[in-house]
Amino acid sequence: MNESPHGSSTITRLVESFHRLPGIGPKSAQRLAYHVLRAPEEEARALAEALLDVKQRAVLCGACQQISDTDPCAVCDDTRRDRTVICVVEEPLDLVAIERTNGYHGLYHVLHGAISPADGVGPEDLKISELLTRLRRDDGDDAEAVGEVIVATNPNLEGEATAMYLARLLEPLGVRVTRLARGLPAGADLEYVDNVTLERALAFRQSVE
Amino acid sequence: MPARVPRVTKTEAVVLKRRRFGDSDRIVTLLTPARGKIEAIAKGALRPRSKLAGHLEPMTHVEIMMAHGRTLGIVTQAQTIEPFAALRDDLERLSAGLYLLELADRFTVEEAEADAAYVLLLTALLRLLRGDGHQLVVRSFELALLEATGFRPEWQRCAACRSEVTPDRLVWSPLAGGLLCERCRESHPESEPIDVSVVKVLRLIQDAPYEEAARVRLNQRVAAGMESVMHDLVRAMAERDLGSARFLAAVRHTRPVDDPAATAPDEPASLDGDVTYTPQEPLGASGQTGS
Repeated sequence: MNESPHGSSTITRLVESFHRLPGIGPKSAQRLAYHVLRAPEEEARALAEALLDVKQRAVLCGACQQISDTDPCAVCDDTRRDRTVICVVEEPLDLVAIERTNGYHGLYHVLHGAISPADGVGPEDLKISELLTRLRRDDGDDAEAVGEVIVATNPNLEGEATAMYLARLLEPLGVRVTRLARGLPAGADLEYVDNVTLERALAFRQSVE
Repeated sequence: MPARVPRVTKTEAVVLKRRRFGDSDRIVTLLTPARGKIEAIAKGALRPRSKLAGHLEPMTHVEIMMAHGRTLGIVTQAQTIEPFAALRDDLERLSAGLYLLELADRFTVEEAEADAAYVLLLTALLRLLRGDGHQLVVRSFELALLEATGFRPEWQRCAACRSEVTPDRLVWSPLAGGLLCERCRESHPESEPIDVSVVKVLRLIQDAPYEEAARVRLNQRVAAGMESVMHDLVRAMAERDLGSARFLAAVRHTRPVDDPAATAPDEPASLDGDVTYTPQEPLGASGQTGS
């Protein structure tokens, strides 16, 4: 009996490795493995080096907890950023999304998740104590002290629970806690919008300029 | 000839939880009146312009149209009946609501009749929404759900041998599912003392109409004792920890000091001081207004 369905244990190993990645099924794993097999050696080497690099060089920024090559990360190290505002996001990719807007110039804090009791994720599993430590350290009379924390967790049940829990912890520190506005997404169809979103969109309506 | 299974069905449901499925879909777990707990795919629910996503948030009472797929149902339409929006703006009520959802999820199995659990969950969420006290709503739901699912705790007699219990030295065991008599406690090393006031209120909530139980006033000590007992009991019956119970405790620790519920002094330890009837001032009431 042939134990390697691909006739080669190295290909089978590569297929299995791709298959372990999220969102990659057995067929996609095979296609990726055969793509690597047929690709020039430099391309395969670059992929392997990128995989190793991300494991060996990526670190968490000691301040904002973002994944970075350096500690502190480029954002925390940038003296042009507004150090009086911290935007709290759930995941590293949320930070990337906000940076892409070019509309925010303050600092960040990445929680690495949201409170989700049903999935066993509680406040102690998130980078909340790191945020509190950071705010207490910054607490002082100097102009650089953090005056506002923008809670940019997702507008869903877990995100709301996290936002309210954070607000409860942060308000005694004398920090202004704000939340991203909620409303209709661009291109939405009112007919299909859920009641909560529509209610918030009406509550936070703005003058037409 | 066997009856044809309809290709599309319409049902009401309470959304218990959801998880990612691939890059753009979600699998939602729904508690329905007719089919019990079911899972269904909400295609495209992770996309920003999804017509389904907002209606399929956990803790939403929703009407859905569902097509029958090969393994899972596929949600084709969803319309919110009650979003329980006010619960999402209040950390105490939100954490209590999350606990109700997790309990309903743990004590039901997929594709098995769960009419009673559905009605109990919806009723409890509506009571939280109108501002009833969390303690009363949650304890009442726990006891009724345990009874509906065959785990009714015993607060009158010995849970092991059905004999009378000694009121002056009550002990109970979560594994036995209630009080234990002098003799049976020997075979339950995990048994521990339980406050007589806690037992009295649990009996009342379990057997009296909700409105009557709502007239009881509790002090913090009895309320905390009841919560501890019920969490231990639920953990033993579910055979696992409930994350939302831990979150409830974490939320309580963050309660602002100017919140009357956080600073109310303990009333005298006598039984009469622990449990009193105050028809004009319904207990249970949390001081919050429902919407």
